[in-house]
Amino acid sequence: MRKVNIYFYVIGFLLFFHQGIAQNVSISGQITDAISGEALPGAIIRTSDGAQGSVADLEGNFTIMLLPGAYVLEVSFIGHKHQIVPIEVNGAVQGLNVALEEDVLGLEELVITGQGINTEKRRLSTTVETISAKEIESVPVGRIDQLLQSRIPNLQTRLASGQPGATSITRSRGVVSALVNSTPIIYIDGVRVDNLNTTGALSISTRSSANGGQTQSTATSALAERPVENIERIECVTGGAATTLYGSDAANGVIQIFTKKGGTGRTNAFVEVQLGVDVPTKDFLFFDRTADLLHQNGFRQLYRVGVNGGDNKNGYSITGSMAHNEGINIHDQNENRTYNIRTGFRSQLSDKFSYNGSFGFVHNTFSRTRDGNDGGYVGLWFSEAGASLFTPNSGFWETNNLNELSSQEFDRMREWVSTAERLQDFQTTVRRFQMSNNLQYQPTKSLSARATVGIDYRVQNETGIFTNEYLIHTGEQPEGTDDQGSISNFERKFLGLTLELAAQHQAEVGDFSFVSTMGGQLFRNEDDQIFYRGENVQEGSGTVSDAAVTTSDDFALEIANYGIYLQENIGFMSKYFLEFGIRGDQNSAFGDDIGIQWYPKVGGSYILSDEPFFANLIPENIVSYFKLRGNLGFAGNLPQPFSQERTVQFNGFLGEQSATFGQPGNEDLTAERSRTFEIGADIGLVGERITLGVNYYNTRTQDALFFVRSLPSAGETQTQVRNVGEIENKGLEVFSTIILVQNQTWDLRVNFAVNTLENKVLDAGGSPAFPINGFSGRTIQTVVEEGQPVGFLRGNKGTFGENGVLQETEAQSFLGSTIPDFFGNVGLNLRWKSLNLFANADYQQGAFAHSFDRQFRFFYGVDNEGIPQAEIDARGRDNWLNFTDQFVEETDFFRVRQIGLTYDFSQEMLGDLFRGITLGFTVFNPINISSSSFDPEATQSGGLQGQNTATTGGISYGTASAPRQYISTIKFRF
Amino acid sequence: MRTIFLTLLIGILALGCELFDPTEVSNPNITEDTYLGSFNPGEKWLLGTDRQMATTIGTMVEFGELTSDNYFNNRTLSSKVFDIPQIDFIDIDVRRLQDEIHTLREMAIFGLTELVPNDPLVTDNMQAEWHFYLGMSHLFSGEYFIGLPAEPGREVLSSNENLERAIEEFEVALDLSDDSEAEVGYRLAIARAYYHLGDAANARNFAEQVIASNNLFLRFAQYDGIEGFNNPMQFLLFESSNDEFAPLPRLDFLDPKYFSQTTASLDQRPIYYLKAEEAYFILAEIELGAGQVSNARETLKDLVEDVIDQRPVELLDDSRELRGGGNRDDYPLAGSYRVRFDADDSLRSGFVVDRQAGAINAYPVSGTSMTTAILDQITTEDQMLEILYQMRQEVFIAEGRRVTDLGIKYQVHEDEFTSNPNVTEAHLESQIPAFIPRETRMDDFVNNEGDEVVTMVVNMNKILVQHKSSDLVLPFH
Repeated sequence: MRKVNIYFYVIGFLLFFHQGIAQNVSISGQITDAISGEALPGAIIRTSDGAQGSVADLEGNFTIMLLPGAYVLEVSFIGHKHQIVPIEVNGAVQGLNVALEEDVLGLEELVITGQGINTEKRRLSTTVETISAKEIESVPVGRIDQLLQSRIPNLQTRLASGQPGATSITRSRGVVSALVNSTPIIYIDGVRVDNLNTTGALSISTRSSANGGQTQSTATSALAERPVENIERIECVTGGAATTLYGSDAANGVIQIFTKKGGTGRTNAFVEVQLGVDVPTKDFLFFDRTADLLHQNGFRQLYRVGVNGGDNKNGYSITGSMAHNEGINIHDQNENRTYNIRTGFRSQLSDKFSYNGSFGFVHNTFSRTRDGNDGGYVGLWFSEAGASLFTPNSGFWETNNLNELSSQEFDRMREWVSTAERLQDFQTTVRRFQMSNNLQYQPTKSLSARATVGIDYRVQNETGIFTNEYLIHTGEQPEGTDDQGSISNFERKFLGLTLELAAQHQAEVGDFSFVSTMGGQLFRNEDDQIFYRGENVQEGSGTVSDAAVTTSDDFALEIANYGIYLQENIGFMSKYFLEFGIRGDQNSAFGDDIGIQWYPKVGGSYILSDEPFFANLIPENIVSYFKLRGNLGFAGNLPQPFSQERTVQFNGFLGEQSATFGQPGNEDLTAERSRTFEIGADIGLVGERITLGVNYYNTRTQDALFFVRSLPSAGETQTQVRNVGEIENKGLEVFSTIILVQNQTWDLRVNFAVNTLENKVLDAGGSPAFPINGFSGRTIQTVVEEGQPVGFLRGNKGTFGENGVLQETEAQSFLGSTIPDFFGNVGLNLRWKSLNLFANADYQQGAFAHSFDRQFRFFYGVDNEGIPQAEIDARGRDNWLNFTDQFVEETDFFRVRQIGLTYDFSQEMLGDLFRGITLGFTVFNPINISSSSFDPEATQSGGLQGQNTATTGGISYGTASAPRQYISTIKFRF
Repeated sequence: MRTIFLTLLIGILALGCELFDPTEVSNPNITEDTYLGSFNPGEKWLLGTDRQMATTIGTMVEFGELTSDNYFNNRTLSSKVFDIPQIDFIDIDVRRLQDEIHTLREMAIFGLTELVPNDPLVTDNMQAEWHFYLGMSHLFSGEYFIGLPAEPGREVLSSNENLERAIEEFEVALDLSDDSEAEVGYRLAIARAYYHLGDAANARNFAEQVIASNNLFLRFAQYDGIEGFNNPMQFLLFESSNDEFAPLPRLDFLDPKYFSQTTASLDQRPIYYLKAEEAYFILAEIELGAGQVSNARETLKDLVEDVIDQRPVELLDDSRELRGGGNRDDYPLAGSYRVRFDADDSLRSGFVVDRQAGAINAYPVSGTSMTTAILDQITTEDQMLEILYQMRQEVFIAEGRRVTDLGIKYQVHEDEFTSNPNVTEAHLESQIPAFIPRETRMDDFVNNEGDEVVTMVVNMNKILVQHKSSDLVLPFH
C-alpha cells in the first residue's frame, strides 16, 4: 500500500506529528510548483515515519529540525503529486528546494465525502469532484449553488429567478424522485445543514387576495445566503455507491464544504473590496420599454477582512464581510444586504488528540417584488404579458402594446408603475449560525478516529405589507378605502444537529492493503414555522398588533435519523481495488412496520496502466494512466416527517375546534431506494496533458414515493405518501481537461463535460398524474405520470385546420419534457505569468418550457404570438387556452456564466507593506444564447406538492432573469 | 474506592443520557387513536361534519352555478369548461365535487360508527345530525350525479337509489331527534328528495308539514373568515377585486348574494341549503302538474308575500363591481338598461342595477323580480310553470340548485373508474339534456349599447317548459 499522503487537509497531517522535535540541525528550503515556479504555501514536508514535519509559509519556505542521520522526506501539497526526497543529514542544510508536479488526475487526493474518514482517490470506484480554494476565491458570488454552476461536470444548477434569495433547480444525474426535491444534501465541516430549496410548508404569499403561494412565484432558498466565508475546498459526489455511506437521504448526492482552520507561518491578513454593478438583461424581454419601467442598474459593494495564522500545533482563520447590493429593481426593491463572520480553529491537543472547529454567522436581508402568479399588479405581467389592459382599470392606458404608446403616455405609465413598485413592501431576513467541532484521535499511524458534533440554526423571516395606498393605486380597492391594509409574516426556524463517530484502520499485508472504516451517524432536524397576519392595519404600521383582525398558523417537523456504516477498501498490488460497504438506518419518519433500512454498495477498480503489458502496448507518453472502475450502490430519499401516521385534523371553526379526517396513514412508509449501477474509466493522455473521464450510469429508484390518492369514494380528504413507484435515470458522462500550453510563463487549459440523460417514471404504482408546478389542468402544469419523464409539460394541444382555424383540442397532452437529455459545461483557464483569465459556460439541449407571458400576450391582444390570423378572425382570442402547445418552446441554451480576469502582484513588486495584491474583474452572465424567445431558466419555483418536493421548472411567467454582474475586486494581503 | 467512583460516574452519565435523546421526535399532530381516547371527541367531530357540509355545498355552488345559466366565469380562476357546458370524466373539478360529497358521507359514518360507541357524551340529537348529513350526502349524490358509490370502492348507486337512501337516513334522523327546529329541516330534505323522485304525494305531505311548522325556516352552512375558512362563492362574487363570476344580465339585480360589509375575515356569509321557500315551490309545481293553475298562483303569491318579502334586504356598496373580469367586457352596467329574456321577449326594466349610483339592494337569503301583481296576470299552466322556474332560479341563485333544475348531472370520475371494478364506462357519461344549448350560449347575451337593451340569447326557463315532458327535468310533468 502506498503511504498515505496528507496534503489537502492540514489538520489531518498534524495528527502524525510527535511533539518531541529534535533541535540539532535545521533543514530549510522552498517548495514550488514544477512548471510555474510559484511558491506553494501550505505544502507539507515530513519524515516518512511522520515523526517530524513542517508546513511551508506564504513564500513556500520551510524549516524542519532533524537529528543527524538518513531520512526519507515526503513533500506534498494539494493538487500536486507527492515527492520523495532521500537526505543524509550531517549538518544544517539550506536551499533544499523541491518542485512538485501538478496532479491533474487527482489520484493522490484524499477524499472524505462518502468515505467515513478519508480514502485516496486512486482507490475509489466512484468519482468525486472537487473545487479548490483558488477557484472559489476567483468567483465573487454570494451563493453556494451559483458557485457550483458550470464547475461540476454532472451537476446542473439553474437559478429560478433573478430576485434575491430565489430558489434554484439543482440536480445531478437527473431526477431520482417524483416527490423529493433534487437538491443534494450539504455538509459543512461534517455537519449537515439546511438545504431547503423550495418554499416552506407555510409562506407569506405575496398575493393580496387569492392564494397561489410561492410555488407560483419566487420562493426563498436556504442555499441563497452563502453559509461560509472562507472555503478551503468543496467535494461533490453524486448518488449511488458514492453516497451509500450517507444512507437514507443521499440519493441526490452530497456536497461537502470544508473551511479553513488556519494559515501557515506568521499571521497573515487581507482586506478585500469588491465593487460592481448589476445590469438587468434585456435579452429575454419582449418590450425593451419593460426595462425602462421596472429596472435599474444596481451598485454592489463588498468589504471583507480576514486574518489567519498558525504553526504546527495550532491555527486560526477569521474572516468577516459586509456586502450590499442595490439590485435591479427600481426603488431598490431587490436590495440585498449581508453581514458574515466565520472563524476556524485547529489545535494539536496532545500527541494523540487534535481538534478543529468552525463557527459562522450570517445575517442577510433583502427585498422582493411581486412576480409570477402573485395576482393583481405584477410588474412583469403588467408590461410583458399585456395585463396593463385592465390594470388598474380597463381603458386606463391607450394600449397595452408598450411599443405603440406615445412617449407622453409612456411617461404617464412609467410614473404609475414607479408608484406601484415603490409601494410594495416585501422583506426577508435570514440569520444563520453554524458550528462544527471535530475531535480526532490517532493512537497509531494506522488507526484514527473522529468525533463530530455540530449544528446549523437558520431563522428566516418574511414580511409582506399591503397598504391601502398600494391597493387603491393598483385598482384592487376603490378610492377612499382605509380598512384593507394587511401585514403577513412568516418565520421558519431550522435546527439541524449532527453527531458522528468514525474510525478507520489502514493495514498492509504483503501485496494487500486494507482501509477499514466504521462509524455511526445521527442527525436530527427541527423545522418550526409560523405565519401570522393582520388585516385592517393602520397605514404605516409594521406590526400586526395594530390590526383589527389577526390570524395565525403554525407548522412543525422533526426528524431523527441514526445509522451505522461499515466500509472495506482492499487493494492488491496497488492496482486492483475492491470496496464494499453498507449503511443501516433507522428513521423517525419510517412507518411502524419498517425496521432498519440497509443500503449496500460494492465496487471495484483496476489501474490497467500499471500493468507492464500496458506500457508495452501503449507508450506512456500517449496513455500514462488508465483506470477502469465499476460499482453498484444504493442510497435513499426520505419521506417527510410524520407522513406515516394516521391523523385527525383540527380546524378552528366558529370559535371552537372542529375535527376531520387527516392523513390516512401508512405503516409501511420508508425511504425511496435508488440503486445505481455505474461503470467508467479515468484516463490520462499525452503525459497527463489530457485527462478524460467516462461514466455510464443507470439509476433505478425503487419504492419511489408517490402521493397516492385514494378512491374518491373513500372520502379521504388527503392523499397518502406510499412507496409505490419506480423511476429510471440513465446516461453517459464524459468530462475532460486539456492542457494546451504549460510552461513557466503560460498555462492554457480547457475543460468540458458532456452528459446525456434519460429520465422516465417507469411505474407510478397506480397513482394518477399529479402536478409539481403550474396551475390548473386546463392551463399548464408540469406533471408526474407513468411512462413520462418527471415534470413534463402537460396542457391543451390544438390542431389547426388548413384554413388556420382551431379544429380540435386534445386536453392534457404531452407538450415536452422539462429535463434536458443533453447538457454539460465548458471552461477555459489561461495564465500568463501572474495574469489569469478564466471563463465557463454551460449548455443544455432537449428540454422544453412554457411561456405564460406569451400566452397572455396573445390573450390580451398584444401580439398574435404565431397564432393564425384566421383563428383570431373567426373566434377572437377566446380559444387562448385551447392551444397551449403553441406557447411551449424548446429551451436549448448556451450560457456563459462568467468571464474573469485576475492579476497577482507579488511581494517583490510591492515592497514590504504588502505581501501581495490581487486585482480581479469578473462578468457574470455575459452571454445568453437560447433557442427560446424567453428565459428558459427564469421559471416559477414549483414544488406544488409541498415543502422540499420535486420541481423541474419549465413554466416561465412574470419572472425576472438573472442580471449581468460586473464585479471588480482588489485584495490586499499583509 | 476506585470501583465505587467509577460506578458512580457511570451512573451519573446514565442519568445525564436520560436528559438527551436525540432520536426522540415529538409529533405535533393528533393520531386517530389519541383522538378517540380524548374527552368528548363527538362534539368536535359533529362540528367538523358541519364544516365539511360547508365545504361540500361551497364546492357544489361554485361549479353548479357555472354549469348552469346563472353565472359565467369571466376570468381565469375556477372551471373553464363548465360554462360551455362541458363535463369530462377526467376533469379534476368533477372529482372535487364527488370528493366533497364522499367525505361528508364518510365523516357522518365515522361519527355513527366510531364516536357513538366511544364517546358517552354523544346525544341522540347528535346522532340524528349525522344521519341527516349522511342523508344529505345521498341527496347531493342523487341530485348532482348520474350515480355514485355509497361505500368506498363499492357499486354505484343510481341517482334514484341515492335519493331513496337519503330519505331513509332523514327518517332515522327524525326518529332520533327531539329538536323541533332541526326536524323541520329533516322534513324539508325529505320533501326535496321526494320531489326529485317525482313522488308528489309524499313531497306534498312533507312540504306542507314544513310550511305549517315554520314557513321562514332556514338551514345553512357557515363559514369562518377569521380562520380563513371562506365561502368560496363570496370570494368569487364579491371579495375578489378581479370580478371573477358574472351573472346572466337578467339576474344582475340579485348579485351578489354573498358579501362583506366590513372585511372578508369578519363577515363571511352562510350558504342556505334548505329554505322554506322550497316547500312552496314543491307545492306549486305539484299543483301545476295537476292542472291547478290558480292554486299554484296562490301558493306562489303566498311565497312572495309570506316568505320572500320577509327575507332581509341589505344596502350594499358594490361600486367596485365593473364586470371587468376580462373574458367579456360588454356586461351592462347602467341601471337604465332594459333586458329581454330572449329575442322574442318584450323589454323589461329593473333587472340591471347601477352600482356606481350609490348603495344597492342586496338579498342575502332570497330575492325575486316576481310580484303578486305579475302572478295575477298569469293564466296558462305553461306560463305559470315558466314563472315558477324563473322564481326558483332567482330565489336559489348562487345556491347551486339551478344545474339540477336544468337536468344536468355530473358523472363518476376517472380515478374511481380505474380503481373500482364496479364502475362501468356508462358511469363516465355525464347527463346534459339534448335541449341544453352548448358553446356557452346559456350565458350569452347581446348588448345593444345604443338602445341600452341587453338580450339573452336563450331563455332557459322557456326551454325547460318546452321540454317539460322530458324525464330529466320538471319531475311532476
